[in-house]
Amino acid sequence: MDFAFSPDQQLLKNSARAFLDEHMTPAAVRLLWDDPRGESEATWKEMAQLGWLGLSLPEAYGGSALGMVESAILLEEMGRAACPGPYFPTVLAARAIEEAGSDAQKKRWLSPIATGDARATIAFLDADLDWRPDAIQTRAETTAGGWALSGRKQFVPWAHVASVLLVPAKTPDGLTLFLVDPGAAGLTLEPAQMMDPATRLASVTLEGTPVTGAAVLGKPGQAGPLLKALLSRGAVGAAAEMLGAARRCLDMAVGYAKVREQFGQPIGSFQAIRHKCAEMLLEVENSHAAVYYAAWALDAKAEDHDLAASVAKAYVGDAARRVCGEAIQVHGGIGFTWEYDLHLYVKRAKALEAMYGDADYHRELIVRRVAA
Amino acid sequence: MDLTYSPEDRAFREKTRRWLDVNVPKDDAKTLDERKAWHRRLYEAGYVGMLWPKAYGGWEATPMQQAIVQDEMARAGAPPAINGLGIGFIGPTIIVHGTDWQKQRYLKTMLTAEEIWCQLYSEPNAGSDLASLTTRADDQGDHFRVNGQKIWTSSGPIADWGLLLARTDSKAPKHKGISCFLLNMRQPGVEVRPLKQITGSSLFSEVFMTDARAETRDLVGSLNQGWAIAQTTLGYERGANSLGRVTRYAIAFSQLVRATKELRRGGRPLLEDPVVRAKLGKIYAELEVQRYAALRVLSSLQKGESPGPASSITKLSYTEFEKRYFELALEILGPWGQLIAARDEFEEVDTSSGEPGTWATAFLWSRAGTIYSGSSEIQKNIIGERVLGLPKEVRADRLKA
Ligand SMILES: Cc1cc2nc3c(=O)[nH]c(=O)nc-3n(C[C@H](O)[C@H](O)[C@H](O)COP(=O)(O)OP(=O)(O)OC[C@H]3O[C@@H](n4cnc5c(N)ncnc54)[C@H](O)[C@@H]3O)c2cc1C
Repeated sequence: MDFAFSPDQQLLKNSARAFLDEHMTPAAVRLLWDDPRGESEATWKEMAQLGWLGLSLPEAYGGSALGMVESAILLEEMGRAACPGPYFPTVLAARAIEEAGSDAQKKRWLSPIATGDARATIAFLDADLDWRPDAIQTRAETTAGGWALSGRKQFVPWAHVASVLLVPAKTPDGLTLFLVDPGAAGLTLEPAQMMDPATRLASVTLEGTPVTGAAVLGKPGQAGPLLKALLSRGAVGAAAEMLGAARRCLDMAVGYAKVREQFGQPIGSFQAIRHKCAEMLLEVENSHAAVYYAAWALDAKAEDHDLAASVAKAYVGDAARRVCGEAIQVHGGIGFTWEYDLHLYVKRAKALEAMYGDADYHRELIVRRVAA
Repeated sequence: MDLTYSPEDRAFREKTRRWLDVNVPKDDAKTLDERKAWHRRLYEAGYVGMLWPKAYGGWEATPMQQAIVQDEMARAGAPPAINGLGIGFIGPTIIVHGTDWQKQRYLKTMLTAEEIWCQLYSEPNAGSDLASLTTRADDQGDHFRVNGQKIWTSSGPIADWGLLLARTDSKAPKHKGISCFLLNMRQPGVEVRPLKQITGSSLFSEVFMTDARAETRDLVGSLNQGWAIAQTTLGYERGANSLGRVTRYAIAFSQLVRATKELRRGGRPLLEDPVVRAKLGKIYAELEVQRYAALRVLSSLQKGESPGPASSITKLSYTEFEKRYFELALEILGPWGQLIAARDEFEEVDTSSGEPGTWATAFLWSRAGTIYSGSSEIQKNIIGERVLGLPKEVRADRLKA
């Protein structure tokens, strides 16, 4: 039993921290906020060189075959930096291709993802705000050449830079996952403007969009369990990023409480402020336990891995909301300004709260598992 | 990072489970004598005093093994061992600061619960600000004469001995004039009056000391070093109950789920009510997080790391969770949750497991954890100052000091 990071994991964390501190300064993040594409090609390539994009991919495709714990370590650091970019959607989609793809599909996509030449994303949500795969209404009908997809996907992360979209759709056989070219006929992307400018989401409308038979990922009708597994992974990844953002907010609040003086003393000497900070630390530490337990459970294929993923998303979602909110409060007026960097992390955490199922959604999943 | 139990720990758990299967008393051990007999069996099996050195009758087990025993006992519904304050805090204090004579005289009978111990710290006017205590012990050459009053003394009515903090130098600054004694509770100068708690039972007490004797050989450490000793007292047996506690929460949770299937509102079981489901989901998520956090603490204890002030985070976390847990449970259960069973007088309660009984008792008991052993507010002060490094608060007694 060892809850601490191994030396290699600690090394990964340190090098991620160092890289992001250098390349993803608040100023750099702000530049990307204003960038139409929203991400930096140069940073993406460097991440590929650091081995981040292939972190959990098989070695045959240029990856390092590491686990969810390592991914969570990176994601926590990215959350801490409010790093914009399609990193997590891409590695999550890569996971789907690795799990369900044919050799040809893996060759086509996994190596380019590892080298930073391709980006990918999964279009989970349909028109309904319902993360359950069963709720998907987008349909695929057989045609002479393969399939035609119709429906509307919402809040698809980083679709505008993706080389390939993973689109689940209903077929007569059941839920099926398709690899769709974003440039395909009948497909329109509509970027949404979000509160967090580091979160780029788009709606994807499919009007009889044609795909070939070779675009089916895995067997037709078999996508349900795969999507559920991806959602668990997504929940843990999002929780890890929220943890990083929340810890950054806590650090900023504590740092500020030590130097800001009112009534002739540092505000951190007032219990109302100090106790808030103590409560924030408690929630951040519990979040750490939740994230890494869940990540480990996924890697170890522990019996409770889906449950742990839901616990992490539900707990950390609530915790990050409170910690980030209290960080603004501790800062007073400066925390409400655009100039001050706190809102970079507040907004990053907020955006992730709603993704891959919010806390209410995961609490319901928990109850289904433990109160059947 | 690897959260699997080692083969040794798994084997140890199996062995413990088998032992408990055979040995847990079939009908609840209710009287003090029955509890002492059960305690003795636990001790002889190696399940009490697990972290104590062998030289003093302990077992030199690992923190993980100790946590596993508590966990299995919770699972089996076994009555807890008794003399928890003695074995958890007072004995270790004697081991660290006591004389050889004290070790010989007191430790073994403490482990076997032949003698029950209590902690004589709090006073009517010295609670969180313990160092302002006024009970005095005056040096009479061969003994100290003790006068004063203690309060909230758990197990006071059944205690044979107490670990006493008393003022031995009234002129020194408040932290510097306190000494630590082992006090015989069975003497004419010591009067114990039980206090009834909000749960209805009388587990703690007032203790009045009128010209009571504390023998000079029962002074722990040097004169006027009592405050430093009291500080180390607070740091022992961390993590012992971490898993057992969560297992008790989980057992209560399955009972809660069962109740939500049986109780109905609006023509359907409570369990089908989305509001009830949301509350259940929230409790369970928090309960699991408590378990993960416990594993994290245990894994670091296992490596010999000392959590230091960070253990305040653990205490704050589970005691505050426990309040939310039973509040939500009572919200869900409505008046059903407030039924209270008439039960036998219960002489000693392990603060970490609480009083056995109904949801109502659990709810009431959950109010204790955020008060004793340093209230939540005090824990937050510690976390703020000693973990986060925030500036100390301006306090009247610091201005004077
Ligand atoms: C079930 C139970 C068992 C106990 N068993 C024992 C025992 O065996 N032996 C023993 O010696 N004692 C025992 N105690 C006593 C316990 O240690 C004290 O109750 C505790 O230290 C608080 O002291 P107090 O009750 O005087 O409250 P106070 O110290 O008066 O506190 C009242 C309120 O003020 C707050 N407060 C106090 N100081 C500060 C501060 N600096 N900043 C912010 N808020 C503050 C507290 O948090 C609390 O909310 C027990 C208590 C309980 C409830």
